[in-house]
Amino acid sequence: MQKSLRLAGLLSSLPILLLLALVFIAPLLVVFGFSIMPTKTFSLLQWPTLENFETIIGLSYYRSLLWSLGLSSATVVILLLICYPLAFAMAKVFGVFANVIAILVVLTLFVSENIRLFGWVLVLMKGGLLSGTLKAWLGIEMAGLLYNAPVIVFGMVYVYFPFMLFPLTLGISMVPNELRHAAADLGASRWTVLREIDLPLAMPGILVGCMLSFVLCTGAMLESKLLGGQKVIVMADEIETAFTYGQNWPLGSALSVVLIALVGVMAIFVLRRVDLDQILGRTNVQSS
Amino acid sequence: MGTQFTRRQRLGYLLYGVVVLAFLYLPLIAITLASFSRKRYVSFPIKQYTTRWYEKAFDSLTISDIFWTSLTIALAVMAICVVVGFFGALAYARYPWRGRKTYQKFILLPIFFPQSVLGLALLLWINFLGIIPSWQTAIAAHLVWIAPIATLIIAIQAYSFDPALEEAARDMGASNWQVLREITLPLLLPGVVSAGLFSFLLSWGNFPLSLFTTGADLTLPEWLYAKMVSGYSPLVPAVGALTILGVAIILAVTITIMWLYRHGRRAA
Amino acid sequence: MSGTETSVVLRLEGITKKFGDFVALNGISLDIYDGEFLTIVGPSGSGKTTMIRLLVGMDEPTAGDIYLKGERVNDVPANKRPTCMVFQSLALFPHRSVGQNIEFPLKIRKVAPAARRARAVELLALLRLPADCYDKNVTQCSGGEQQRVALARALAFDPEILFFDEPLASLDFRLRKTLEKELKDLHRATGKTFVYITHSLEEAMIMSDRIAIMRKGRIEQIGTPDQIYNAPTNRFVAEFMGEVNLFRVRATGNGRLEALEIDASLASPDEEAAEGEEGTLMVRPEVIRFLAAGETADCVLEGTIFNEYVLGSRVQYSVRVGEKTLSVEKLREDRYTGEIDTKVLIGWNAEDSRLLGSES
Repeated sequence: MQKSLRLAGLLSSLPILLLLALVFIAPLLVVFGFSIMPTKTFSLLQWPTLENFETIIGLSYYRSLLWSLGLSSATVVILLLICYPLAFAMAKVFGVFANVIAILVVLTLFVSENIRLFGWVLVLMKGGLLSGTLKAWLGIEMAGLLYNAPVIVFGMVYVYFPFMLFPLTLGISMVPNELRHAAADLGASRWTVLREIDLPLAMPGILVGCMLSFVLCTGAMLESKLLGGQKVIVMADEIETAFTYGQNWPLGSALSVVLIALVGVMAIFVLRRVDLDQILGRTNVQSS
Repeated sequence: MGTQFTRRQRLGYLLYGVVVLAFLYLPLIAITLASFSRKRYVSFPIKQYTTRWYEKAFDSLTISDIFWTSLTIALAVMAICVVVGFFGALAYARYPWRGRKTYQKFILLPIFFPQSVLGLALLLWINFLGIIPSWQTAIAAHLVWIAPIATLIIAIQAYSFDPALEEAARDMGASNWQVLREITLPLLLPGVVSAGLFSFLLSWGNFPLSLFTTGADLTLPEWLYAKMVSGYSPLVPAVGALTILGVAIILAVTITIMWLYRHGRRAA
Repeated sequence: MSGTETSVVLRLEGITKKFGDFVALNGISLDIYDGEFLTIVGPSGSGKTTMIRLLVGMDEPTAGDIYLKGERVNDVPANKRPTCMVFQSLALFPHRSVGQNIEFPLKIRKVAPAARRARAVELLALLRLPADCYDKNVTQCSGGEQQRVALARALAFDPEILFFDEPLASLDFRLRKTLEKELKDLHRATGKTFVYITHSLEEAMIMSDRIAIMRKGRIEQIGTPDQIYNAPTNRFVAEFMGEVNLFRVRATGNGRLEALEIDASLASPDEEAAEGEEGTLMVRPEVIRFLAAGETADCVLEGTIFNEYVLGSRVQYSVRVGEKTLSVEKLREDRYTGEIDTKVLIGWNAEDSRLLGSES
């Protein structure tokens, strides 16, 4: 009875646990292993050393790290501001239409990132859709908007938009309508309702959305390459360079470890405060 | 539910939604337009239109090869994720077992990792094992990110059904296997189909994980990327547009099938 | 029908169930007779649902034994027991039609389609569902129809005992009243043992052969509706029965009682109460009379009527006697004709009252 259910639960979890052990845990262990190997070597069977980490601290890798963190933070803030109204509308205002919007948004996710970013290149470049159309219709000359830091943020906002939108929608749908009505009835202004009721109760969704987008942004590589033209080097670029051109697996691993540590700490911090049963158990847009 | 919002407010939100959607789709429109441009190097506004890049894309053997590679990987990923995700979702949302809460959070971890880091980590691991990277290792790579997502999608479906249904079935004499077959699986089917769809499409469009783990083989996104950064080919917008179209068609077909299924069942 | 000499079909001996430190069931022993309609009543948290889940096989007792027709079934899982439960949420399979739901227990027992269908049609008739309901999807049925489908499904494989977990709780008043009567008729028609849970004593009184009243994991009293109504064992059961007047009293030895909350002396229904013994005197609202001038009774109290409640065919009055408020109930035709807020004399005969034990 209860025991057989418990056993069933354990057995059901095994396939994915084994899978992840093989393709997630094991590779990460290898990365950790390499991060403490002598630099520019390719074998794991050597004496551990911390020289890679020393290199990271000593050389200017911290610049890439700061760029990554800075750009990611900017992206998350912008995403929060842009997505919140739409998420609110989807959770509370639109009704069935919300599903249509959701499908349309999800559709874009299935088109590969580099295609979508290339589309923006076509729009924003000199002679692209934007400047070309402006020139032809209004005679305005405009330089290309690419190859700088802000456009990287723009790219990341675009790509990670759904990853903020959906958790936010979920979080907001957890705020019972009656509470909002009651507060308004007692005299609260719209801003007060937002501050005292919406934000605190939607916090799990907000946290998950911010966390997810932040983490994905710190590991983002394509935006800086395609849109930023490598004007800014982010952490993910450094890691890739170390592994490929630099032929320095230990250094690349150490850089990865730094990134993982940062990201991992944040992920664990947020996940601990969030009850997944509560969030996922109520996925209907109409709140109870 | 929505009665407290004025018409003006609703209109405002609607407008906002439309603007956002336009923003989301603008690059896709740009690519589609560019794919018809006669010139080798695209510039707007487009003066002359042609479909010859599409013809070239269909004729190209390279692209055809790469297409099959992407397809094979995506189908394999879909099949594995659906099975693993189904059981994983049951463990996630249905069975009360010790460690479930920790399990829930652990399964989600790969989603929170930057894909490029995961890809590189896998490359190291593959080398460590002495395996040569190829499209087969790319399947394993995609699974890291996509299996948790598939599990999550089915779990969301699993949360919304009444546990009393399985208990009632058992009470009436059904064995565990019968319960799974008659009750659990049919009720979870929409979630399973969604998960399959997501798995296929996410694998199809994936770049960071494929980049590092396909070795000498190439997937479509990899090829596109290579052409974008150097050796630009006017086939890029055409292939890009075809991909977009393909995704739209698959989604439309799946949604139609699901809609028919649901309405057919109702009439029964 | 109500088996007193007939066989015991289900026996619980010393059943205890703990969830961590919380004791949900505390050493319960109970015999359930073949063919009876037993209702278990109690407030929430009393352990009723826990007990049913143990009887059906969805959970195991921490201690004690369960015997089904003489065989120990502690370890027998739900799908092997000849019992069936109707859930509060009904648990109808939303992806199947009415007919498919009803046939489910037969399908998994590998009964042939033709035989299954025949049985389903038979059950539809028994439960007074229209035959064309067969192909309807259950989600499109009304609340009452869904209830009946759930009942039909539970009966399909002919279980020995049927359990009901508050199935009528979420229905509106009219539907509830109709289904209560139908359940009793169904019980008569099928002759099976019904074990029913509810928190509404009124429901229990209407349908049951016997009622068991539970509180905090124990059975306070078990008996026929009449027995419980006339002779509740203690204050809890008496209060559970609804409007009843309870006086804390002390026997003064001469066949009289001293009412402790108000300053009064009352005649005792129990002549043998020892002097100094404390207890509770129960006086039902309907046995109290308004005394006209010159009328007398064994027990007389002076009080003030301060409100009147019309309950359909009966009328209830609140009468304040000192610090205490008493309920007096009259049939509509015997309505008190005087004014509210006036002083009255009320009284009752000693044999119409009852002395309960001192513990509550």
